[in-house]
Amino acid sequence: MKFRFSSFEYLLKILAEEKIGAEDYAIKRESFISGKSEADILIDLDRRIAVTRAALDRGRCESQRSLSGLTDGAAVKFATRSRVLVSDDLFSRAIGYALAVNEVNACGGKVVAFPTAGSSGIVPGAIWAWWDTRGPGGAEPPYDERLRGAFLNASLVGVLIAQNATLAGSEGGCQAECGAAGAMASAAIAFLEGLSLEQRFGAAALALKNSLGLACDPIAGLVEVPCVKRNAFVAAASLVAVELVLAGIESAVPFDEVVAAMKSIGDSLPQSIKENAEGGLAATATGIKYKAKMAQTQN
Amino acid sequence: MPKENVSIFDILGPVMIGPSSSHTAGVARIAFLTRKMFGRKPDQATVRFYGSLAATYRGHGSDKAVVAGLLGVSPEDERLSRGLELAAEALASGEGFPIDIIAEPAEPAPWHPNTVVIDLKAGDEKLRVRAASVGGGAIRIDEINGYAVRLSGELEALLVLHKDEIGVIAIVSHILAANRINIAGTSSHRKEKGDEALLVVETDGAIPPAIIKQIEGLPPVFMALRVPSL
Repeated sequence: MKFRFSSFEYLLKILAEEKIGAEDYAIKRESFISGKSEADILIDLDRRIAVTRAALDRGRCESQRSLSGLTDGAAVKFATRSRVLVSDDLFSRAIGYALAVNEVNACGGKVVAFPTAGSSGIVPGAIWAWWDTRGPGGAEPPYDERLRGAFLNASLVGVLIAQNATLAGSEGGCQAECGAAGAMASAAIAFLEGLSLEQRFGAAALALKNSLGLACDPIAGLVEVPCVKRNAFVAAASLVAVELVLAGIESAVPFDEVVAAMKSIGDSLPQSIKENAEGGLAATATGIKYKAKMAQTQN
Repeated sequence: MPKENVSIFDILGPVMIGPSSSHTAGVARIAFLTRKMFGRKPDQATVRFYGSLAATYRGHGSDKAVVAGLLGVSPEDERLSRGLELAAEALASGEGFPIDIIAEPAEPAPWHPNTVVIDLKAGDEKLRVRAASVGGGAIRIDEINGYAVRLSGELEALLVLHKDEIGVIAIVSHILAANRINIAGTSSHRKEKGDEALLVVETDGAIPPAIIKQIEGLPPVFMALRVPSL
């Protein structure tokens, strides 16, 4: 079996030739790369999935507050809000769950960088929201194959972006972190909805297109503003991408080409909006105020 | 040419303590590995943060992460966020050691912007590690005791400091082969012809202490140091 691929087009060809699902292929490929048994890889996969669930539950129960004051219990406020505009439970939970995981990260809790710490709420937020509202809900390891499959489909999207562009905000801006996570989440939800591999990567293409050019301009260089709330926005947008695909609406530009566009946009973004905290929101009056406040606690 | 072998666990991982994979997780991993490399409790540790780490270490908890790592707390352990308290408790009970943290104003130009230099001391034993947190929790060790290296911490490595003469590399690889240890990569550096040279061997799996002793006992070898994997 071929385990090296550099495009979705080629991955699709391998899977068709080998008549194997993306989830099983991801496990076999991991075993090939790492030299570990498939059973050990599943144990490691479950361990990581469990960390995402623990972070989510913690962020929703305990108000998270950071040293800077920029993170201040948004997930709890959202979960206990009295006025509701958009009442769909899946949509609502995706927002709340993504906030919860990313607030836990902002406050020094345990998370899985998926693909990065600053974007760690998006994929778990979307997947667990679907699982709790449209699936059987909750779970303990060993996890259901479908839940694992959602995490694996998301990971394969991430592998392709990592291989052909970047997942680092310092290299590609936030499109490479939250943007990539949104594409990954869309593929995961499309998988859970029973859509084909082409449709999953079609949803990923739609989601990624929507995040192209996104700046990485965190206030005081901290992984809080705009990161935490952006996790909520992008998790919600990943559901929009799948909703479009379910309606038969396709991305005009295929996934591989969107990734190439993301790479070229990332290369041309100025350094001041690639995680160095000098431009954009970091350079606003509010941004400068928080930077000065943090510099004081530093001394 | 694009990469083709990125692991799914590079995407779904690492499991880490927030908030930043580069400023918290990477730093925790550097400190944890440095302590593991030293292999004993130090009497004293000094940490120097450079560049972006010097500017933002408190907000990112890089100080907690580095202290916890030096105490041997795993980079995945939630106690990491209590690193400073743990260090104070350990010091009070006599189990710990003083750790100084210094924010250096500027890094020498060719260094990575997220660089940390750690000095550990126990009696006459000293270890200096310069490493960079290069993103997503990944690390790169750039210097060990003054010798330039380039290690990721993903593989076990052996550093052999030896007199630059014919056959040292062959003897070392022969010893490893005879003990069925597979070499994943090697590099060799020397200051001047006939002077000191450094051989870096990355291996699949750990090299037992007895074999390191054997290599250190070779006449042209001054020192052999194991660099464990994370």
